[in-house]
Amino acid sequence: MLDLVRPKIEIRGVSKTYASEHGPVLALRGTDLTVNEGEFVSIVGPSGCGKSTLLYVVGGFLAADGEVAVDGAPIKGPGTDRGIVFQEYALFPWLTVHDNIAFGLERQGLAASEREKIVSRLVGVIGLAGFEKRYPRELSGGMKQRVAIARTLARDPAILLLDEPFGALDAQTREIMQDELLRIWLETRKTVLMVTHDVTEAVYLSNRICVMSARPGQIIEEFTVSLDRGRSREELVVSEQFNSIRNRVWLSVRRQALAAGERNDES
Amino acid sequence: MNQLEVRTDGFAWRSAVSILLFIALWEIAARIHVAPAILLPPFSIVAAQLWHSTLDGTLAADLSLSLARAFCGLLLATAGGVVLGLLMARNRTIEWLVDPLVALGFPSPKIAFIPIFILWFGIESLSKILLVTFACIFPVIIGTYGAARAVSRQFIWSALSLGSNRFSVFLHVILPACFPRIFTTFRIVVPVGLITTFTAEMVAGGGGMGATLIYSQRFFESPTVFAYIVVMLAVGLVVDAVMRRFQSRFLRWAEG
Amino acid sequence: MTKADEFMSSARRGLVRVAPLILFGLIWHIICTAGLVNKDFLPAPGAVAAALADLFKGGEITKNLTITLFRAAVGLVLGAACGIWIGVMMARSRHFREYVAPIVGGTYSLPKSALIPLFALWFGIGNVTAIAAVFLACLLPMIVNTYHGVVTTPKVLVWSAEALGTGERELWPRIFIRNALPDILTGLRMALGFSFVLAISAEMIASTNGIGKLIFMYGENGNYDYMFAAIACMVIVAFLADRALVILTKRLLAWHESAVTELETRRP
Repeated sequence: MLDLVRPKIEIRGVSKTYASEHGPVLALRGTDLTVNEGEFVSIVGPSGCGKSTLLYVVGGFLAADGEVAVDGAPIKGPGTDRGIVFQEYALFPWLTVHDNIAFGLERQGLAASEREKIVSRLVGVIGLAGFEKRYPRELSGGMKQRVAIARTLARDPAILLLDEPFGALDAQTREIMQDELLRIWLETRKTVLMVTHDVTEAVYLSNRICVMSARPGQIIEEFTVSLDRGRSREELVVSEQFNSIRNRVWLSVRRQALAAGERNDES
Repeated sequence: MNQLEVRTDGFAWRSAVSILLFIALWEIAARIHVAPAILLPPFSIVAAQLWHSTLDGTLAADLSLSLARAFCGLLLATAGGVVLGLLMARNRTIEWLVDPLVALGFPSPKIAFIPIFILWFGIESLSKILLVTFACIFPVIIGTYGAARAVSRQFIWSALSLGSNRFSVFLHVILPACFPRIFTTFRIVVPVGLITTFTAEMVAGGGGMGATLIYSQRFFESPTVFAYIVVMLAVGLVVDAVMRRFQSRFLRWAEG
Repeated sequence: MTKADEFMSSARRGLVRVAPLILFGLIWHIICTAGLVNKDFLPAPGAVAAALADLFKGGEITKNLTITLFRAAVGLVLGAACGIWIGVMMARSRHFREYVAPIVGGTYSLPKSALIPLFALWFGIGNVTAIAAVFLACLLPMIVNTYHGVVTTPKVLVWSAEALGTGERELWPRIFIRNALPDILTGLRMALGFSFVLAISAEMIASTNGIGKLIFMYGENGNYDYMFAAIACMVIVAFLADRALVILTKRLLAWHESAVTELETRRP
């Protein structure tokens, strides 16, 4: 029997204008996007195309025209069902690793023993046991990002919104974190919407990639990615399958970037 | 302000040597009468006067009075300034109302207002306390406002998506995020509070370090003049050291 | 946007910023005319304005203001010049820095107005005392800021300049001091404020003339509307001087990313 399942996230006709010193700027124009439960969707596109803006609208942090619905219901602002992770980590510098992760749990009103259980489990998941009393200032970029992810996971949101999460990390750390994220996703099967400028990363992690046009942003093309995630990174990255998808996506993004460049030259 | 903490090894040693050298030169210069004793009493005489004033309690009375006034004024300035700064950051109308007052008040020499405060509040402590509040509140407002407006929206958004309501965002994000900047402003403003207290006492009398200082000058009691200046210097140093300790203890998490 | 449009919109913005003052002025007027406060404690705005006009006519204000501004300016210029020089020397020479730094650090904590009675003792009542006090007060922020500005010159700037053939002697004016300019101007703004404070303090404590003395005298004699008028005048002068420096700073630092503002991050 066909079971028609509602998409987890539905974005319909979202437009966003914001004010700038040179007058109003249209960041998004009539964007449509659907994300199904358990999917890992990446949004790629040229710089400044509005992909982060779209993510913030889905997160409920920015108001916009159009509809955004989660589980069929329109969103009314930020919510604990949509966790967010930023490129700059946004860890509260005045709190320790432990307290950062526990932040959402305290807001939830959980008893201390409950909180402790969840925090120590997550600290184990991200592999930072022993660092609970450290401050963000004392951590490396990769460690900070792990704490940021753990903090978001603490509230167990159904949806994870990732805004260029590994953009601030060096190449090696980035690869390690990508594998971490993949592992966590395969375990928890959350719905993930990720914004990234790194096409290779998008192909490596997602099962669907949406290419956004240059500003004002719209989803121009979509690519389905079906790779055997059982294979190791080394194998995968040199495989023909991987590279063929990667090249197609990359060319699509490049087309958009060039179009944006031309437009800038004209204006 | 304290970029001069260019600490090299033996910094404490070198300061001690400088100070001792300075005192030695002072003593010698005074003794050989480089200037009349009225203008340059020897260090030893000044030290004796200092000891005398401590013993008979005048120094303690003056110092505690001045410090109490400065402290109260600073407390009011900080509380009022932080509240106003935060309100201004949140509410456009309040910002609109307070902005020109701050713009006018910040660069003006608040000392010029001493006679108004004396007129309204007399020559005892109240006028000094309120003058200190008036003198110190503007930098606090500006600093708090700047800090509140600069709180990264990513902090706020993270907190919201972790289940914070508006009040929790204020309490758990905005306040802690602003605290380092507010404290730095406070550090800058404390000397201003001390100066204002001393100056107000010099101008208006009514007891305290400044009053005694100016009386001594009028009656040419130069050892007292020198002694009180030394005490004021010491007070400034101690207060600054205390604040530095506080900062390194509680604000370790703030970068830079 | 044409020039005329730009002018109109900035004029409108200026009016909006000033509007609360008009509001407060009205409230002041109402309080006084309604007799809510004793006339002696708070002269009506009209009376203060009349007193101000009278002072200008009679020349007292201009005479005393000139004296005060003279003292503040001389102390400021001397203090700034010496402060910049000392700051540069501290950055150039380790020896110099190690001897001077403790002295500078120590005097940071001394309230400079405490020295006014000492200077009055040494130099008597008058210009020298006031100028000396202003000089000392302006010295410190200039030293600290100049030093900081020079010392934080990014190495890459220095190396680029050297690689492009800048000699040792030229490095100083061209690279270090240019880089320190924002800090120096910040220090100058602080020093400007101090110069007024110290000049007026000195006048109230140990002088026979100057606006500080004028304000004080009117207070003692009970001419409160004249007292308020003189204070208002001083506030406006200090405000204008600060504004002028801010505008000058913006011009000089047009190339710098972060401009000097008094209320940061205005709402868009």
